[in-house]
Amino acid sequence: MSETQAPSSSFRAGLVMSIPVVLGYFPIAVAFGVAATRAGLSPAEAVMFSVVIFAGAAQFLALTLVTSGAPLVLTAVTLIVMNLRHVIYGPVLLEKAGRHAGARHAWAWAWCLTDEVFATTLGALMRGRRFSERLVGGIGLGAYLAWIAGTAVGVLAGESAFEAWPVLDAALGFMLPSLFLALLLSFLDKTQLLTVAAAALATVLGTFLVSPSVGILAGMILGAAIGALKRASQ
Amino acid sequence: MRPELILLAVVVGLFTWTFRFVPTRLKLSRTDADTFLRRFLVATGPAAIATLFVASVLPLAKPDIAEIAPLALGILAVLAAHLVRPSVVLSTLAGALAYGLATLAF
Repeated sequence: MSETQAPSSSFRAGLVMSIPVVLGYFPIAVAFGVAATRAGLSPAEAVMFSVVIFAGAAQFLALTLVTSGAPLVLTAVTLIVMNLRHVIYGPVLLEKAGRHAGARHAWAWAWCLTDEVFATTLGALMRGRRFSERLVGGIGLGAYLAWIAGTAVGVLAGESAFEAWPVLDAALGFMLPSLFLALLLSFLDKTQLLTVAAAALATVLGTFLVSPSVGILAGMILGAAIGALKRASQ
Repeated sequence: MRPELILLAVVVGLFTWTFRFVPTRLKLSRTDADTFLRRFLVATGPAAIATLFVASVLPLAKPDIAEIAPLALGILAVLAAHLVRPSVVLSTLAGALAYGLATLAF
């Protein structure tokens, strides 16, 4: 057996680590299901979007563009550009994985490499957990199934899905910000403060001056560039 | 299902998968040389997670006590839970619970 099958980085460990992502994704996917049916998509079309695209923000934007009557090519190009930031996720994880890096089954786990799956996997690696394709596959599959299930619930239950539990509804709405902060705290040290501050500032400026997508891209690129320059000067 | 929606989903899904998968085959990262690219990839980790955190809280940060108080309490709960026991799952749940309860109070 290879080292990548050690329990600490197993598929099951990945599934367990996906729980915060699952709890965060589910209500957002419910909201997508509700919005999709409101926008005139059939239940099958709404679920198909979640199965085939699996990119939350892009799916919400797709609804806006489709219902506004935007040309298909323009809609596709807009959504594709929006997901361009994902190109850095695989190389960053494999760099952090070091000698345990492996991409034999990347065709499968990369399908699920969303912002949250990337952040959860990276956080685990930065806390010392060894990379394995099974680990990232477990995190990704948990997130993917939650996304599809949430969409189906949203389509079937409509807006009443969480109506009876307002505290739960609000809590689930804060799950992803809470997860990102917990991940950041889990590996943050003094040497990374400049990188984090630069990324945060660039995100705020990019979001307010241009758009949320540009803000995310600017935060990641400028934060990483400043972090790389700081490392070079040390 | 409408064929144009299926086509749209397939094209966008295929490109998204390509963005996520193809860079893992480029072997950009597996080198011992301390290049700028390598330093950039290493620094992208904290930068990316900080970015995603800020991007996720910006829509919640409104100049209204009913919006900002639950946000502040949620963040404080994550920090407090992390200080008590540095577990990502527990800190995440503590923050979400505090946020949910705070929406009742404000």
